[in-house]
Amino acid sequence: MPWSNQGGGGGWQGGGPQGPWGRGPSGPTPPDLEDLLRRGQDRVRQMLPGGLGGGRGIAVVAALVIAVWAATGLYRVLPDEQGVELVFGKWVQTTQAGLNYNYPAPIGEVFTPKVTRVNRVDIGFRSEGSLTGTSRSMANESLMLTGDENIIDINFVVFWVIEDAGKYLFNIRAPDDTVKDVAESAMREVVGKQEIASALAEGRSIVEVGTLELMQRVLDDYGSGIRIGQVELQKVDPPAAVIDSFRDVQAARADKDRFINQAEAYRNSVLPVAQGEAAKLIQEAEAYKQETINRALGEANRFTAVYDQYVQAKDVTKRRLYIETMQDILTGMNKIIIDSRGSGTQGVLPYLPLPALQSKPAEGTP
Amino acid sequence: MRGSLVLIAVAAAAILIVGSSALFTVHQNEQAIVLQFGDPKRVIRDPGLNFKLPFVQDVVTYDRRILDFNNPAEEVIAADQKRLVVDAFARYRIEDPLKFYQSVGTEAVVAGRLGNLLNAAMRRVVGSVSLIAVVSGERAGLMARIRDLVNEEAKQFGVNVIDVRIRRVDLPQENSEAIYKRMQTEREREARQFRAEGEEQSLKIRAQADRQRAVVLSEARRDSEILRGDGDAEAVRVFAEAFGKDIDFFSFYRSMQAYRAALGSDDTTMVLSPDSDFFHYFGSSIGEPLE
Repeated sequence: MPWSNQGGGGGWQGGGPQGPWGRGPSGPTPPDLEDLLRRGQDRVRQMLPGGLGGGRGIAVVAALVIAVWAATGLYRVLPDEQGVELVFGKWVQTTQAGLNYNYPAPIGEVFTPKVTRVNRVDIGFRSEGSLTGTSRSMANESLMLTGDENIIDINFVVFWVIEDAGKYLFNIRAPDDTVKDVAESAMREVVGKQEIASALAEGRSIVEVGTLELMQRVLDDYGSGIRIGQVELQKVDPPAAVIDSFRDVQAARADKDRFINQAEAYRNSVLPVAQGEAAKLIQEAEAYKQETINRALGEANRFTAVYDQYVQAKDVTKRRLYIETMQDILTGMNKIIIDSRGSGTQGVLPYLPLPALQSKPAEGTP
Repeated sequence: MRGSLVLIAVAAAAILIVGSSALFTVHQNEQAIVLQFGDPKRVIRDPGLNFKLPFVQDVVTYDRRILDFNNPAEEVIAADQKRLVVDAFARYRIEDPLKFYQSVGTEAVVAGRLGNLLNAAMRRVVGSVSLIAVVSGERAGLMARIRDLVNEEAKQFGVNVIDVRIRRVDLPQENSEAIYKRMQTEREREARQFRAEGEEQSLKIRAQADRQRAVVLSEARRDSEILRGDGDAEAVRVFAEAFGKDIDFFSFYRSMQAYRAALGSDDTTMVLSPDSDFFHYFGSSIGEPLE
C-alpha cells in the first residue's frame, strides 16, 4: 500500500482507498478528492481574474497541499511487522501492527521490518533449488578441525528472527552477514572442543545447543536485536577423502558380530550332536550289558537244566551227549579213517596233501 | 500585484535554499562532524535536526552502527611450529568521529589499518600457543587477547573494536593431507581391531564348543565302558555260579558245544583213527575194551 512506504507524495498515486483522506478538512461526508480539487480550481479561477483576494486563493491552495501532505504520514503496520518511527532521523518509537501515524517525509520516516519472518542461513552448502532439493557443498565452510585434530565435514542451517526491530536496524550494519560470520565462528569454536567420534554421534545435540547459545551471546553483545531460533545440523560426516575408512570401521564392527554369530552357530550345532552321540554310546553300552547278562543267564540256565538231568543218570547222559555230538559233527565233514593197527597199515603211507587241504577252506570261506 | 507575487516567490525560494543549506538531519544510523572550510567545528553524535551556517560549513557523516570488517585468510605459525590458516573478522564502532576524521577519514582506509593490526596481533597471540589451543581449549581467550591488542592500537583512529572472532582455523592443504592419512590409519587400526576381536571371540567359542563336545563324548565312552564291564562281570558271575556245580561235567558239556560250533562246517576234513572212543563198537559188537 502506498502509505506503508514513507514516501512523501505517495498518497497521491492511485487514489483508490479513502482511508488516509478521511482526515481531510471537509465536511462529515467522505470527501471526493476530484470534486474537492475541481472546486478549489474553480475558486482560484474566480478569484484570479478579479484581481482582489489573490492572496486568499493561494492560502487555500497552500492549506490543501499541506493537509494532503500531512495525511501521507499515515502508515500501516502488518501483523508480521513492527513499525520503527524516526523524526528528523531520530528513532522515537516502535509501533505495533495496525494503522499508525508519523510525521510525513521529510520530517518523519518509518521502517517496517518483518519481525516474525524466520530467516535462514545455510552454512557449508548452498541450496540450489528448493524444488529439486539439490545442494552444492562449500568445502571451505564445511570442513573444520575437531578437538582431537581431526577434520570433520559439517553442514548446518541457522534460523533467526528479528526480535527488536530498532536494534536490528540501528545497531549493526550488515546484520545478515553478521549472523553468518558469527554462526561459522561459533560452530568452529564448539566443534573444536569436541572429539570427532563424539561429534559424529552422540555429541550432535551438544554441538547444536552450544552453537546456538554462543551465537546468541555474541549477537546480544553486539546489541543486534536478533534472536537465533534454531541451529540445525544437516550433515555431519568425516571428510570425503576418508569416509571410506570410517565406513570400513562400521563394516568391521559388523564383521565382528558376524564372526561371533557364526561361532555361536557352530557351537549350537556341535554340542547337541555330541550329546546325541553320547546318548547313543550309553544306550549301546546298556544294550551290550543287558545282552551279555541275558546271554549268560540263558546259557547258565540251559546248562543248569541239562545238569539237573545229568545228575540223575550221569554215565548214560554223558555218553549219549558225546555220541550225539560226534554224530552231528562227523555227519557233515569229510572223513578219512586210517587204522594204524590193522594188517593193511604197512601198505598205506600216511600222506597229507597240505596244499589241497589248505585250499579247501579258502574256497569255502565267503 | 504581479510584482508582489514574484517577490513572494523569490523570497520563498531564497528561504528554501538557505534553509536546506542550514538545516540537516543526522539519521539514527549516523553521526556527523560539521566542518568549516575543512576545519572541524562540531561533532554531533545524537540523531535529530541540526543547524549549520549555510554555504560556509559542510557536514561529514559516519556510520554509528557496529561495522563489519573481514580479514582475508592469513597463514600463521603456532608455538609448536604448526602452520595454520586463520580467517578472522572484527566488529568495530566509530567512537570518536573527530579522531576518525583526522586520522583515517574513510572506512576503506581504516579497514586497511585494521587488517594490519589484526594480522600483527594474531601472529603474536597465536604464535604464543600451540595449535590445539587455538583450535579448542583457549579459543575464546585468544580472541579476547587479539581484540584487546587490536583495540589498543585502534584507539588512535577513534575506533572501538568490539569483537574479534576467529572464523576458520584450518590447516594448509599439505597438512590436511597428513591429517587425512592419519585419520585413515586410525580407522584402519580400529577396523582391524574389531575384526581381530571378532576372530578371537569366534575361536574362543569354537574351542569351547569343541572342548565340551570332547568332554561329553569321553564321559559317554567312559560310562559305556563301565556299563559293558558291569554286564561282563554279571555274565561271569552267572556262569561261575551255574558251571561251578560240577566242573567235570561243565568241561565235557562245554567241549561238546564247542566241537559242534567249531567243527560243524561241511568243509572240514578229519583224519580219524578207529581207535577213538567214537569207534568203540566199530571193530566188534561187544566193543573193544575200554582203556
